[in-house]
Amino acid sequence: MADALVLEDLTKVFSKPAVDHLNLRVRAGELYALLGPNGAGKTTTLRMVAGLLKPTSGSIRVFGVDALAEPAAAKQMIAWAPDEPMLYDRLNPMEYLEFVSGLWGVDPKEGRARAETLLKLLGLWDQRGQRCEAFSRGMKQKAALAGALIHDPKMLILDEPLTGLDAAVSRQVKDLLLERVAGGATVILTTHILEVAERMADRIGIIQNGRLLAEGTLTELRERAGEREGTLEDVFLELTGEAEAITA
Amino acid sequence: MIGRPGSTLWLLSHEIRLSWRGLIGGRRGRIRMIAFGVLAVGFGVAGVPIALALRGVDMPVNPLSILAADFVCTMVFTLMLSQTLAGAADALYARGDLDLLFSSPLDPRKTLTVRFASLAGTAFTAFALLVLPVLIPLAIFGHWRWLSLLLVLGALALGASGAGLAVSVGMFALIGPKRTRAAAQILAAIIGAAFFLASQVRTIFGERSTSMWLQLLALANDPRLRLPPQAAWPLQAALGDPAPLAVMLAVGSGIFFVVTAWLSRRFAADAASAQGADAGLRRVSRGAAGAFTGGVFAATFVKEMRLLTRDIALLAQVLLRVLYLLPVTFLLLRSAAGHEAFALPGGAAAITFMAGQVGASLTWITVSAEETPELLQCAPASAARVRNAKLLAALAPLALLLAGPLAIITAAAPAAGLAAAAGATAAAYAAGLINAWYPTPGKRSDFLRRRRSGSILVGLAYFFVSALIAAATGLAAALLPWALIPAVLAVVALLVLRRSPARIAEALAAAQS
Repeated sequence: MADALVLEDLTKVFSKPAVDHLNLRVRAGELYALLGPNGAGKTTTLRMVAGLLKPTSGSIRVFGVDALAEPAAAKQMIAWAPDEPMLYDRLNPMEYLEFVSGLWGVDPKEGRARAETLLKLLGLWDQRGQRCEAFSRGMKQKAALAGALIHDPKMLILDEPLTGLDAAVSRQVKDLLLERVAGGATVILTTHILEVAERMADRIGIIQNGRLLAEGTLTELRERAGEREGTLEDVFLELTGEAEAITA
Repeated sequence: MIGRPGSTLWLLSHEIRLSWRGLIGGRRGRIRMIAFGVLAVGFGVAGVPIALALRGVDMPVNPLSILAADFVCTMVFTLMLSQTLAGAADALYARGDLDLLFSSPLDPRKTLTVRFASLAGTAFTAFALLVLPVLIPLAIFGHWRWLSLLLVLGALALGASGAGLAVSVGMFALIGPKRTRAAAQILAAIIGAAFFLASQVRTIFGERSTSMWLQLLALANDPRLRLPPQAAWPLQAALGDPAPLAVMLAVGSGIFFVVTAWLSRRFAADAASAQGADAGLRRVSRGAAGAFTGGVFAATFVKEMRLLTRDIALLAQVLLRVLYLLPVTFLLLRSAAGHEAFALPGGAAAITFMAGQVGASLTWITVSAEETPELLQCAPASAARVRNAKLLAALAPLALLLAGPLAIITAAAPAAGLAAAAGATAAAYAAGLINAWYPTPGKRSDFLRRRRSGSILVGLAYFFVSALIAAATGLAAALLPWALIPAVLAVVALLVLRRSPARIAEALAAAQS
């Protein structure tokens, strides 16, 4: 399987290193969950991949494209959805999707057709003419997700995509992501809901202090942690050393 | 939307669409449009007689008109620079769409060029709307070449945007991303007020007060004055002379495009690092242990004081709102020091009014910008005690600010000092009560924008109550019994404005929904 994302010695230093010589490979067509305690460097890593932060050092390759040398080519294949939906309160969802289509150079006719499909799929069709300012958190999250999907990205990067969503919307989003993966897209997400990673992810990476602590399938991580029967939560706490802190 | 998707024109039309919807949207959009319409008609009505009066009159190009044009151009440029500097800081921090735009394949430089062009457009529009109602009738009645004033304004707006961008990037390099927003806003306010303050310097230092016009007249009539030919360019450009106009346009757009081209890549990186830096931890000094253990009132007071003193940038923004009152205060202190008792009533009134304005801002921060309102509502504490602690915390920095001036006045004229102290306390407390009765929830970081989102009626209430108490103070300082009239009116106004806790809770719930 080809690599969708390759990070080599990726480093970002603010006042101290947030990401510290991180090496990571995500295969094409897999759903990769990036886990870690608060402040581990997950969001900083993903923001660098999305082209929003310039690394201090290291390299980022997206489907073989050097994202630092050719950012536009890399961004063309990526969609970034942060935990806070990137929406314009004063646009309605249809206008928003048309705008995002324009940003990614989608043909306007094609963009409108995709927008219609996505809004119907996500249950926002009846609200297509309403401004986003009146939307609930779940509706905003869905509209932002539609924006992330409008240009049919090869790689979706989502930071805490399920935070604050009710069960129905959460299921809808999870189904949509799995559907995309089945269709050949690569999905990288961060989440603090470990059950989600446990059920959905093909592989899981755990980072702490900006470094990759462990990586693999759930079975591989269990072996690594010596927790043959444990849940991902047990494995995560064992690997990050937080289990000791809890029992101490 | 106009233009090919992803093109500069297309992005620009997106910015204009957002600005337009921001202007007409929301509950206040219709009021804004009506007010704008009334103003336009008013200006138009005034513009026609001016145009008729100037029909067939040629603007003389002499030292006075040249100096006046240069002065106005410089003033407009500084005001535009102030606007674009604050806008540049907003572009980095306040607009949440940079993530979306920068994660798209569009060149960040194009995105930022459009963003800055829209800043220039906003600065241009504000001044163009002021002159158009007069300029259009002038053009209709024969002075069509004077329409080139719009091009001069455009050149100034482009130049100011370029300068604003350069200053913002320079501040990033010097003081880092965290402090740049506050510093840029403070600098913007100072630049915006610079002309007014400069014009008051002579008054403050005791020279005879003369209007700017008289000063210009004196300068223009000075036989030693030798103006270089370039000094006449702004006037000639505004009058439609092609060569100076071309030079001004070239200089303005040159500054804009050169700065944008050179610095926007850097600015894009700064914008990203500014957002990344928000996640950073800030070390704060540890307060005294047990500071929160003195009961509801003490705990709330200590909490508010700590939050205020840990956000010096916010305090500075509050104080900047009264920058325009500084010359009056200086004048008052000078009068007090010189025992010019006749000047004290006006000064006491000015201090009182200033206290009302600062009090309104500080109490908005402690009362309306509460970050955890539901925590306080859930706590088994009296709402009135919590509110009073917040009001006291808001008024404490004000008391410190005014302690010096009030002491000087009291030493010079005890009655006037007493009146000023009582008036300032009353005005600030009244502003706090209005805040508590009519809460407009918001974030502390949105302090500068709250004036755009708050109710007009509440804004008027602050103004009139402060003005009434200031008038009462001034009259009391002059030992006039008429002071009772505005004082009683202020009390009546507060009684009318007063709301029950139940109604406050209802209003709060409505504002938060």
